[in-house]
Parts: sequence; structure tokens; C-alpha cells
Amino acid sequence: MVKEECKALLDALNKVTACYRHMVLTIGGTSDSQNLREELKKTRQKAQELAVANRNKLTTVLKDKTVSKEDKAEFERLWVIFSTCLEILEIDMRRALELGHEFPLNVPKKHLIQTGMSGGTSGVAARAMSVQNMKYEAEHNIDVVDLKDLENEINQVGEMMYEMEMKVSVPQWTVEAKQDPGAELKSTISVGASSIGMISVEENKSFCDISKVLAGIIFSAVLIIAIVLAVCVVKLS
Amino acid sequence: MLPRAVVVLGLLPVHSCNTSHLCYALQIEALMMEMQNPDKGIKTQTQKVMITDIPHAVAGKSNDILQWILQRLQITEEEALHLGDLFVKYGYIYPLQEPKNLTLRRDGSLYRFQTPYFWPAQSWPADDTDYAIYLAKKNIKRKGILEEYEKEHYNMLNQKINYKWDFVIMQAKEQYKAGKERKKADRYALDCQERAYWLVNRTPGMFEVQIETALSSTLLTMDMSDPSQIMYCQQAIMKSRVKSSVSLGGLVKYSEQFLSNDPILSGCLPSNPWVTDDPEFWDLNAKLVEVPTKMRVERWAFNFSELMRDPKGRQNFQLFLKKEFSGENLSFWEACEDLKYGDQSKVKEKAEEIYKLFLAPGARRWINIDGTTMGITVKGLKHPHRYVLDAAQTHIYMLMKKDSYGRYLKSPVYKEMLAKAVVPQETVKKSSNFPFGRRHLRSSPSPIILRQQEEEAKAKEAAATVDITQVMSKLDRRRTWGAVPRLPPRTPRGGGGGVAPNGCPELPPEVGQPSRLSLPPAPPGGGMAQGRVKPSQSFVFKSAAFGAEVDDSAGSRARWPTSECIQPLRGCAPCQGVHPGHPLRGVHPSLQVSCTS
Repeated sequence: MVKEECKALLDALNKVTACYRHMVLTIGGTSDSQNLREELKKTRQKAQELAVANRNKLTTVLKDKTVSKEDKAEFERLWVIFSTCLEILEIDMRRALELGHEFPLNVPKKHLIQTGMSGGTSGVAARAMSVQNMKYEAEHNIDVVDLKDLENEINQVGEMMYEMEMKVSVPQWTVEAKQDPGAELKSTISVGASSIGMISVEENKSFCDISKVLAGIIFSAVLIIAIVLAVCVVKLS
Repeated sequence: MLPRAVVVLGLLPVHSCNTSHLCYALQIEALMMEMQNPDKGIKTQTQKVMITDIPHAVAGKSNDILQWILQRLQITEEEALHLGDLFVKYGYIYPLQEPKNLTLRRDGSLYRFQTPYFWPAQSWPADDTDYAIYLAKKNIKRKGILEEYEKEHYNMLNQKINYKWDFVIMQAKEQYKAGKERKKADRYALDCQERAYWLVNRTPGMFEVQIETALSSTLLTMDMSDPSQIMYCQQAIMKSRVKSSVSLGGLVKYSEQFLSNDPILSGCLPSNPWVTDDPEFWDLNAKLVEVPTKMRVERWAFNFSELMRDPKGRQNFQLFLKKEFSGENLSFWEACEDLKYGDQSKVKEKAEEIYKLFLAPGARRWINIDGTTMGITVKGLKHPHRYVLDAAQTHIYMLMKKDSYGRYLKSPVYKEMLAKAVVPQETVKKSSNFPFGRRHLRSSPSPIILRQQEEEAKAKEAAATVDITQVMSKLDRRRTWGAVPRLPPRTPRGGGGGVAPNGCPELPPEVGQPSRLSLPPAPPGGGMAQGRVKPSQSFVFKSAAFGAEVDDSAGSRARWPTSECIQPLRGCAPCQGVHPGHPLRGVHPSLQVSCTS
């Protein structure tokens, strides 16, 4: 179904935007590195691909006159979500450019701000790219080289947004949110529960692991003792 | 406090930007980056937190920060403390132990540097959408436990950006999940960072628009060699500031008061000419219409400037002022306006006239201004220009505003005008009966004609008004004199050859009041700009047909309304009689004498 496809695409874009935001937050801090810059580049390219795909799909649907009214309302809602997502992505890209200029990595005189972060963002990047592990293959000075590409991509995104505004006129304020305030709690209680469940499962798993090992040891110890006792009994009797 | 000369490493001294927030921000950012220097920067230490041990968290003690500022910038301790405070207030560093207290404490409490993304920047103001996402995330993390002010913000944002709400929730969930991919210690640090950022940008208790106040001029980078910067800062300190509550209150009051007068917001009676093609609205509100609309007259009561802006209002006010014998004030004011906005090639003559008519000692319509202002004005008149009479004009304006205006509003003149004012009926758009017929489009009257009408009206009024005091004094003097000798030829005034009056003698000037006044030339349309008729002039007139500029002798202060002639009293040489077609109007009855010839 077209709706489901659109939703899936939108969810993917949303995920990538969130990850991109996380990564932009770390520019200039102590966990900034060449890897981070490479991750930023890859994430942003993926985000752009997804954005283009989203736009194509949604524009074809919205231009289609044969869509029913409820469907149209639903697609307009998705459109609003999409355009807001794209706005946030563009802002983050611009900030990344600005911060990239301010904090070049290979200049010895410019020190990174000690923000207290130590770990890397590879997990976030992997989540964004939907891969298990990130591979880093960029050159040493990607932080400087990438900025030019970033500028171009920002312009592209800007143009895309402008075209979107011109081609599809969806008045944003007419869209009503489906979710009530506080909806994040309800769904994430399940998510939370699942995540808590996952945590507990993990912990259980770890506990289980430990307990398994312990049990194994105890069992084997008991077994050895039993065998020894049996041997003793046999010997004595 | 003397400004210190400091040059920030790596940044050129900023000469050109004065109030730019950006400049100060850049300087602070440069300082921040210097603080990170492992050798020369601030010493950092680890932070132990109850929940988890963050071995790599770095934080600087507040004393260290102060010491570093003192040593780096060579400023006094008070300034350093203030500067440090600013750092915290704007979010460059945030306190760890008491996050809500955005000040630099001196007791060695710990502070951490904020990530550059969250540094304050003018081009990236703290966005409502981001705040909503943050609150939703917090909701998820704390399972619905938000602070009171946060809950209010949340509800308000839900209403304000409701159409984005689905996105907000989606993004909040995703950001929350993405955050899980990081180390626990980093997650904690990230939380602290975001919380600090939003505490700075959405202060609890402030619901209104968070107006970004410009950074006060820190004494960071004042370059001693740039006197213009120093002067600018000194002037900025002395600038009077209005609290935004006051100015916004003023705006609200203004809007409320003028709401009913706004044709777009409140509609206009009888109808909007652009909609119904009916120009009655413009006719009714013409500049000097006979009977103004009620709304217009009520508007004069709002404040003095409204009264002065409206020509009809000024006319009415002048009527009132004449009764109070202070009409020269308004005439002077109007003359000054004419000087300011009128033909600049005639500035010199106009200034001279005004001086002779209003300002010279013993002038005919002498205005009452204080000595210093008079001194300044007279001095300035030696080299007249557009604004030479500004001081005097302001003085007179304030005099009228404080004194006469109040009485005017309670006077019968105003009340009569208010009673006379019309309230037009609302008309509906006429449906065109002939959809194919040609619509008769009326054009508005030509401005030339309008101006002529205006001037004629002014002339009529000038002729109609009489200077009462002069009338009474002249009356006394007239009774003592018999035959009035013919006046000696008068000195010519600016440009025109004088023509002797046609036989009507003129009274000699009043005793003891020499004047060098010369009459203004009668304009072709025939109006006298400012005019009250002196009774002396009422005897000798130049008709407008002669188009003459009446010359004045050194002694007389005659003013010549254009086309009226009144007979002198007995004993005078035969007058040519009242000119036909110019009946006397509005002259004091005691002056109306029939011709004896």
C-alpha cells in the first residue's frame, strides 16, 4: 500500500535525522574526531537520498486527484511531517557547516572544547546507516574537504524545499495532529517496557550467564563431591 | 572604570561592529577556545556523580575560572566575576551541582563547558520545535514527571504548533533511541548539556517571548586606540532605556485607542470607496470640509498631535484660540511649518517675515516665548535655514499643548463642533443595474482647484477675523482723531513696487510701538496666510484686483485682507465705497460704517 510505504520511508528519514542531530551535537567536543566527520558525511548523504525518495513519493500521491478525502488528509499530514523533518535536517546541516569551520581537527592551536564526552558515536551512525558496524575509509583531512560538499548539499536541500513549497501547497496549519499530548508516554511505556524488558532481559541474560556459570561450577563441584563420596562409601564399605 | 586594552589572540580587533551581538559572541567563543588549552587553559578535574562514576568528565572549579579570567584579561575582580557570570548566563559553561542557578559562584563549585552546538548564536535562536522535542524526550525519560513550568510550556506548545506534533513525538522517540547507542557516561553528560541549554533559553517563569538581550558591553576587547568605540560605549551607557513592558503597554494602549478609527480593522462609514465605488467617504473626510464626521472630531480629543495633524482641527482650534486672544501661537506654528516644509528658495524672506510679524520686539502678533529661546532664535535668524525656528516652535507647541488644549476640549467651540458633526449612514454596495452599461467613473477634483479653494477659504477667514484688542484700542484712538491725513508714500517691500492706496487714508500707527513690519505680498489666489485684521487696515484696502503688494510705511502695521473695504469714519476722504461683490462679513459691528460719500 502506498500509505505504508510512505510511512516507512518517513520513519527512516526521521531516524536518520535524529541520529544526525546526535552527531552534530558532538562536533567541537572531546569526542570529535575524523571518524565523526566521516559519519556525519555518510549520514547526511543517506538522509538526502531518503528525502528525495520521500518527496517523489509524496508529490506523486498528492498530485493524484483520484485519492479519497481521508486519504488526502492523511497524506497531507505525512507531508507536513516530512517538510518539518527536512527543515530540521537543513538547520542541522547548516550548523554542522558552521561548527566544521570553527573546529578544524588538524590544527594544533585549536583545541576542542572539553565537554566531558569520551565515547564515540559509531553506534549512532550504525543505527542511522542501518548497518552493524561502521567502516571508516576516509582520508585524514576529511573535516576540511567535506565542508565544500556540505555546502553544496545544503544548497540542494534548500532548493528542494523551495520546489516543494512551490509545487505542493499544503497549508500546514490545517493539519491536525493525530497524537495527543503525552502520547509519547503511552507508546513508549510499551516501548519502555520493551526496552526495560530488553534491559532486564539483557541483565537477566547476563545474570543468567553468570548464574549459569555459577550453577555449572556448583553442579560440577557437587558432582565431584558426590563422586568422591560415592568412592569413599564404596571404598569404606 | 577604565576600559582595558586587550587584544584577543587570533582575532582581529573589531572596529566596525558596535552593537552586533555577533562580535561579542565571537570574542567570547575565542576565549572559550583558549580556556581549553591544556597548558595555558583551565585545569580540569573529574566529576563524581552518585549514579555513575564518570571518570573522564571534566569540570572546572569556579575559582579556577575566575583566576584564569583575571590573569588572562588583566581586569579587576569585580569585572571578572561579572564576566564569568555572563558566561554562565549565556550558556557557555553550566553549573553541575545546582543547574538552575545560572551564576558563577565563588565557592569552588564545578562547572563544565557546553558543547559548541548549544552555544548561543543569533542565527540559530532556540526553536519552539526543538523545545517541544526536548520536553517530549524528557517526558519519555522521566515517565511523565515534568516540572510545573515545563508542563505549562508543553501544553502551550501543543496548542501552538499542533500541526507539527506528530513529528515532534516521532523525532523525540527516535532521538531517545539514538541516544541509547552511546556510552552511559556520555548519555549522562548529554542530558546535562541539553538541560543546561534549555534552562538558559527557556527560563522557568518566563512565558513571554524570550527576547535575546544584547550582551552588555563586556570590557573584553575595547581597543584603547579606537576612541570611537570608547565614545560609543560611553554614550550607550547614558542612553535612556525604556522597559519593554512600558513600551509594549504603550503600543497596546495606542492600538486600543485607535482601533475604531482604523478603516481596515473596523470598517469605515459610509462605505469603503474601493469596494462600493462610492467616494462619499472621501468627500465627507475632505481636508477642510464644512461639517466633519463625528469620528474625526472625537479623534481630536485623543491627544494634541491628533488635533494638530488635522487641518479642520487646527481651524477649529484657531477659532477657540482667538477667543482667548492667543491665536498668534497657532499662526506662528503654522508659519514655522511652512518654513520647514515649504519652498526653500524663499527661506530667507519667510524667516524675515515671521520675525517681523511674531518675534520682533513690539511685533504685531508677538508670541510669548522665554528669553533664552528668543536669544537662540534671533541668533539663528542671522543665517536662516529650514530649522532655524525649531526651538521657538517647540516652545509654542508645548505651550499650546499644556495650556490651551485642555481648555479647548472643554470649550463650547469644541462642543459645538462635536454636536454638529455627522455620523454617516452605512451604504451597501449598489448592485449594478446595467451589467453591460458603462459605469460612470467620477474623477476626483484636480489638486490645483483644490488648492485654490483652500486659499480662498483661508482668505475669507483671514478677512473675517479681527484682532479684538487692536480693535478696541483703535476704536479709542479713532475717536480722538479727525481727518486722517493721507499717508506718506510707503517704503517698498520685497520686490514689488508699491502702489498708493486708492484714496482711502490710513490711520497713523499706534503711538509708541514702532514696527518695521512689511506686509506679505498678496498671493494671486488672494489669500492671506495668517491673518487677523487690524482695524487700522480695515480702513485702507487694496483690492485683489490690483494684485498689489501693499507697501507699508515704516510706521504702520497695516495688514491687507484682499478684497474688503470698509469705510473709514467721518472725516476721511471719500472712499470709493464698498467694492461690489465683497460684502463685509464678520467684522466687528462698531466698524461697519456706511460710506458717507
